[in-house]
Amino acid sequence: MTDSVRQAVMFAAVAASAAGMWLATSPRAVRWRILGATLASAGLIAAVVTFEKGIGGSAQSLEDQIMFWAFAAAAIISGAFMVTSREPVYAALWFALATLGVCGLFMLQAAPFLAAATIIVYAGAIIVTFLFVIMLAQQTGRSFYDQRARTPIMAIVASWLMLGALLWNFQTWQAVERVESAGPAMKAEVLPNPLSQPDSDEAFNTLRALGRSLFGDYLYAVEICGTLLLIAAIGAIAIAPRRAEGTI
Amino acid sequence: MSDASTPFLAVGAVLFILGGIGFVTRRNLILIFLSAELMLHGVSLTLVTFGRMHGNLEGQAFTIFILTVAACEAALGLSLILSLYQRTKSLDVDLWSRLREPDLPAYATPPDSELLPLEIEKPFAPSPRLTKAGGLPDIDDDFPATLASTTDPRKIYTPAPLDED
Repeated sequence: MTDSVRQAVMFAAVAASAAGMWLATSPRAVRWRILGATLASAGLIAAVVTFEKGIGGSAQSLEDQIMFWAFAAAAIISGAFMVTSREPVYAALWFALATLGVCGLFMLQAAPFLAAATIIVYAGAIIVTFLFVIMLAQQTGRSFYDQRARTPIMAIVASWLMLGALLWNFQTWQAVERVESAGPAMKAEVLPNPLSQPDSDEAFNTLRALGRSLFGDYLYAVEICGTLLLIAAIGAIAIAPRRAEGTI
Repeated sequence: MSDASTPFLAVGAVLFILGGIGFVTRRNLILIFLSAELMLHGVSLTLVTFGRMHGNLEGQAFTIFILTVAACEAALGLSLILSLYQRTKSLDVDLWSRLREPDLPAYATPPDSELLPLEIEKPFAPSPRLTKAGGLPDIDDDFPATLASTTDPRKIYTPAPLDED
């Protein structure tokens, strides 16, 4: 595939996914909405496929490619169904599945600690809290405000324009070779913070390297994040109870 | 740019856009929040990919900070949503589109043609007046009880859900 053909296929896939998303957010019967969400996720996956330069031809092994497509498809499909689902509980569960897909992609990008931390924080804590609040608030079943999207056409036009621009940019970048006259970000003399660079005899994905980066270069930021967590906990405790039960 | 990294960036962009469209189109407060989290996922994936491309760990360190801020945001946002829910007994974000004193002019009203007809009887009549700015309220022992009695949940009659299946 030449680059122009690749771009044409990518834009066609993006347009198809926009049509699917329009169908999925319109007030139609449930089978039309499921069809629309399926079309949207298929179009988005096809748009991502155009970035792959030939199966088996790249430097990645076949197992890596299979895992990448499985996790990417899981993330995109569950993201599309989460956005268009009319049931809040189902939407939260789709979001948990999207989180698992993203964690798989983290693993493929040599970030195993980040994958584990994301699963623990998101799928373990945040999703459970969201489900608590949903079940606390919506005990009567389906509510009318979940049944209709607000300004779907304008939102789809704006979002998909941005998506097309982003993907077109990535394709343009992909065609550019790394040259000496490139911008400063591509040159070797722009060094990162010294402790964030893994040692030459060290693997990239070790927890030791990440810990040295966090507690070396970013020590003050880590302390500020701890303070932020404390403040957020105090604020949540102060806000949540009813006034009669003694809020601050 | 290496060929192997670009599909990851594309997946990150797609997740960001999906979260953004959910943020705009959903009317449930909690789902708006969840869509923002999906956008954060897309950004995290992009950061990790860029860090791998440059061969250093700054992207991963930054993603850990994103994780921390997302946890704080979820705690505070959910407690705010709960206190909003206790006032209206509803998670509809459109009920808060006229967040103002009742005798002030409306700055922007949502286009009614795009909303379902809400059969709400006097939705904003019993809402509490804020304390006048500048002075301290009279706080005695009965103050929490009287304040609670002024914030009684409004009675909102929701129509039956669309019967479409």
